[in-house]
Order: sequence, then structure tokens, then C-alpha cells
Amino acid sequence: MSAIVKHPFLQRLLRVPPAYYVFAILLITLWIARPHMLNANIMGIFIRQVAPLGVLVLAQLLVMRVKSIDLSGGGILLLVNYVISSGIFPGASMPFFIGLSLAIGTAIGLFNGWMIGKRRVSAVIVTLAVSIILVGFVQYLSSGKPPGDVPSYLNDIYNIKWGPAPVPVLFWFALTVVMALFLSKTVFGRYVTSVGENPEAAHFSGVPVERTVILAHTLAGFIAAVAALVQTASIAVGSVRVGLDLPILAVAATILGGVVFGRGEGGVWGPFFGVLSFALLFVVMTTFGIDDPGKLIAQGLIILLAAIFYGIRTSRSN
Amino acid sequence: MLPLLIAIANSVYLGLRTDQFLGSENLFNLIAQAMPLVITAIGQMFVVVVGDLDLSVGSLISFTTAILALDAPGYVTIPAVFLFAVLVGLSNGLVITRLNVHPIIATLAMQYVILGITRILRPVSGGTVPDIVIQSVGGSLFGVPMPVFWGIAVVLVAWKLLHGSRFGLHLFAIGGGVANGTPDAARNFGVPDRRNILLAYVACSCFTALAGVFLAGRIVSGDPNVGLLFELDAITAVAVGGTQLSGGIGSLQGTVIGALVLALLSNGMNLTNVSPFIQTAIKGGLLLLVVGLQTRKKMGL
Repeated sequence: MSAIVKHPFLQRLLRVPPAYYVFAILLITLWIARPHMLNANIMGIFIRQVAPLGVLVLAQLLVMRVKSIDLSGGGILLLVNYVISSGIFPGASMPFFIGLSLAIGTAIGLFNGWMIGKRRVSAVIVTLAVSIILVGFVQYLSSGKPPGDVPSYLNDIYNIKWGPAPVPVLFWFALTVVMALFLSKTVFGRYVTSVGENPEAAHFSGVPVERTVILAHTLAGFIAAVAALVQTASIAVGSVRVGLDLPILAVAATILGGVVFGRGEGGVWGPFFGVLSFALLFVVMTTFGIDDPGKLIAQGLIILLAAIFYGIRTSRSN
Repeated sequence: MLPLLIAIANSVYLGLRTDQFLGSENLFNLIAQAMPLVITAIGQMFVVVVGDLDLSVGSLISFTTAILALDAPGYVTIPAVFLFAVLVGLSNGLVITRLNVHPIIATLAMQYVILGITRILRPVSGGTVPDIVIQSVGGSLFGVPMPVFWGIAVVLVAWKLLHGSRFGLHLFAIGGGVANGTPDAARNFGVPDRRNILLAYVACSCFTALAGVFLAGRIVSGDPNVGLLFELDAITAVAVGGTQLSGGIGSLQGTVIGALVLALLSNGMNLTNVSPFIQTAIKGGLLLLVVGLQTRKKMGL
């Protein structure tokens, strides 16, 4: 048994993030079960639906690389959606809304980062608490009812297509490229890697650990606001519920893509394929008639199995 | 001591502010309202003491009510509930200690799995709970309502486990090492740390299931959403009670008082007609405040 496990080829296979395998398996399943669904237009629509998740995953992977976690995405999503759809700024222009949303996200991210980096509070607690405060606040302001409509230009942008590829998907792809370059080419990207590997060693080599963590969370808040804009454009109406499960899906996709706390082997493209796997997973589950509860179970099992996959490997290397 | 003072101040304020508060009906009601949180917080404390968190307790409560509301006799469902709780605790603990998965990821995943199963068992609230459960929660013995006996029994068992046994001592030892950045400290002194952490998760799940049984007796039916955000309330209660979330420091009486403070808070907010949405936000703010005041060395998770 152990001889097989130690075989170099298998070791190499084990190093590939599970997202690629899951993606391939789901693609084959879909190809066998529903071959007619595999054309560019239909897939474009399915993939467009996960674009907000895809953007949010970029935020999640950034904070998970510095051994933290951000579960406040749901709250940011609701707040941005409320600000845009409730009509509290009548007649405001698009740049104003976008600027305001990004400012909200950045401010919340900065607060998260400050609490986690300076006050050393558990990231789970901070971001969960921030999220439920924001959700409670938004639901109070809107008395639990969906607020109103979203200005139509947002949805118009969302519906543009460039050849077969919808604009939100291209936007997500472009952001992913930017994030990949940012993490691999900039000084900050190297800081992120070193803090993730070992915060103490990073500290003693002169890396500003606190600042890196705070900045990572601030950026994550900013990206979450971008995700919120994409999400708001996609549903085109105000809502007090949509998007509450996105943070947890983002965690799942990130782990599936090979980025576990402090370890970034999956890079940026692993989580990218993690999100694509989720897009396909929902399609496959819907075609096989599995409902929402089944999807919840699948999410949980995927997180667990992917984490076990990495857990076993770490324990072996220790 | 501070939480106790807050609790007393809170009750005095409520007593002066509203007429209903000091009525014996509201006070007994308060105990019954607080009991699920008290039991869950005590369970959560076992895990917090070793420096971890169990985020799966909220859905486990919903799951318990759903099982109890199945169309089956009580002598089947009640043991089944605890069997499942032990299973959940065991799988949490095994995945964390043996398979090297971070506790937060493991219990978060477990939360979703249980939530999904609960929604399959009981998509909307309904069903009826066995009579014995309803009797044991709603009835009274020698003129004293049953929730009081529940409270005494739970606190006694938890006291024995945490402060009166080797198991509890070992938990504090493991947590103390974790909080000081030396997770191996307890193991180096011969404490079987994996086994004790595993048992802490099992204890947490069992107490949670007990809270679920109590809650099922209160609402007389199964409800897939009854445990929503319960894990945060439980963590808040533990933190308000002075237990350090980094592990190693804490006391049972603190946790009980913390849970009572939280229950008083929601009772007071209900009596003064605060919007439920604002109540959620206030609880979140309280959690942030309490945990923000604690200090620890580790950064991040």
C-alpha cells in the first residue's frame, strides 16, 4: 500500500488540486447524461450565474493565503444591493453607485483587517459577527421586504455578450488574471506567500505581517464589493436574501482549488476551476433532480473531503 | 464577576422599566427561554476550552427537533437523537484530530451536511414531538417547573466533567498550551490530547442534542430553522462568561451567567419591542465587542 502511495507518479497526481479532477468528472458526467447541454451558449449562461461567486472567491483566496478567512461577504452583498436598489439616493449616477459600493466594501474590509491584524481577534468570529450585523441592519431598514428595483443599466451591462462569451464571465476572467499577476509579480504578493508559509519566520525576516494581513482583508472587502455589484446586476432587483450562502461557497471553491489556510499551491486558477466545478455541479444536480437540501449536503461534503485531502497530505509531510 | 453585575443591572432596569418583567410567569418563562442557550453554551465551552470552535451546533439543534418530530415512538427517537449526536461529535473529532483538518472547516462542513439532511427530513416546520418530551419540559414537579430541574441536572453533570474529573483538567491543560503557542505542551506531559479533544467534541454534540430535545419540547414540533445562528449565540454566551476563545481559561459558572445575560437581553428586547432584525445586529455587535476585548497571540483564524 505505502509503496503505491509513495510512487512518484501518484505523488504528482496528488499534488494537482482536486478542483481539476472534480471539474473533469462533472464534465464527463454531463457529456454522457446530457450531451446536448454542452454547447457554448448554454454553458455561457450557467457559467455567467457563478460570476459573482467567482469574483468573491478571489477575495477568499487572498485572505486564506494569509491564514485567515472572510465570511462577511454575505453582509457586504446585501448592503451594496440595498444601497443600490432601495432608492435612498434618487437619480444618482452609475459612477456614484459604483464608487459608493466599493467604498463600503473597502471600509468593511479595513475594519475586518484591523480587528484581525491589530486586535488579533479570531477571523471567523469577526467576519461572521460583521456579517450578521450588516444583515440585521439591512433587514431592519427594509423591514424584511425586498427594497426595490435596480437601475436598468446595470442589468444591461450584465446581459451584453462578446461573441459566445457573456461580459460578466470575461470580467471575472480578467480579474482572475489580474489577481494571478498581482500575487506572483508584486512585493505584496510575495509578502502574502511568506506570511502564509510561516508568520513568525516572515516577521523575523522583516515582512510587515500585520500590515499584510490588514491589507489582504481590505482588498478582500473591496473585491467582495465588486462581487456584490456583479450579483446586483445579475438579479436586477433588490433582495434581502440572495447571496447569503456565497461566502461559504467561496470557501468551498477555494479549498477545492487547492488553497488551504496558508498554503497556496492551487494558485489562482485552482479556485477558478473550483468555481467552474460548482457551476457544473449545480447543473448536474438539477438535471438529476436533486433539490436544495441535496446541494447543501454536497457543499458540506465537498468542503470536508477537499480539506481531508489536504489534511492527510500535510500530516504525511510532517 | 462583571457579567453577573451586568445581569443584575439588566434585571433591575427591566424590573423598573416594564411591569411584566418581575411577574413570576415571565421569570419562569425566562428560565425556559434561557435553557436551550445555557445547555448549548455549556457544550460549546468544552470545545472552546481546548481553543477550537464548533460551528455545527446550530444545525444539530434543528436536526434533533426534526428527528423527534418524526412519526415514531419516543423510545426510538430519543436514543436515536443521542446516537446521532455522538456520531456527529465523533466524526467532527476524528476528522480534526486524525485527518488534520482545521476545526472551523470541519465543523462548518458538518453544519451544511446536517442542515441538508434536516431539510430533507422536514422541509417545513411541523410534526409532533413525543408526549414524554413535552411533559418533561412543560410540566412541573412539586410545584416547581421542570426547566429548573433540567438546569440543575445539566450544570451538575457539566461541573463534574469540567471541574471534577481528569478529563476536564486535561482539556484545560491542552487549551493552555494552545493559547500559549505550544500545542504540544499537554502531550509532552503525557496527556492523551487527541483522545481528549475528540471527547470534547462528542460532549459538545451531546449537550447540543440535549438542548435540541428541550427546544423540541418547547415548540412541540420539528423546525428546520429553529437552530439558525444558535452557534453564534452560544459562542457569545461563552465569551461573555469570561472564557478565553484562545483556550485554557474559563469557568462553568461564567458560561451559565453569560448565557443568562444573553437570555435576559433578548427577553428585555422583546419586552421593549425591539425589532428582531435589530436584535440580531445587537447580538452580533456584542459578540464583536466581547471577543475584541480578549487578547491572544495568534493572528488569523
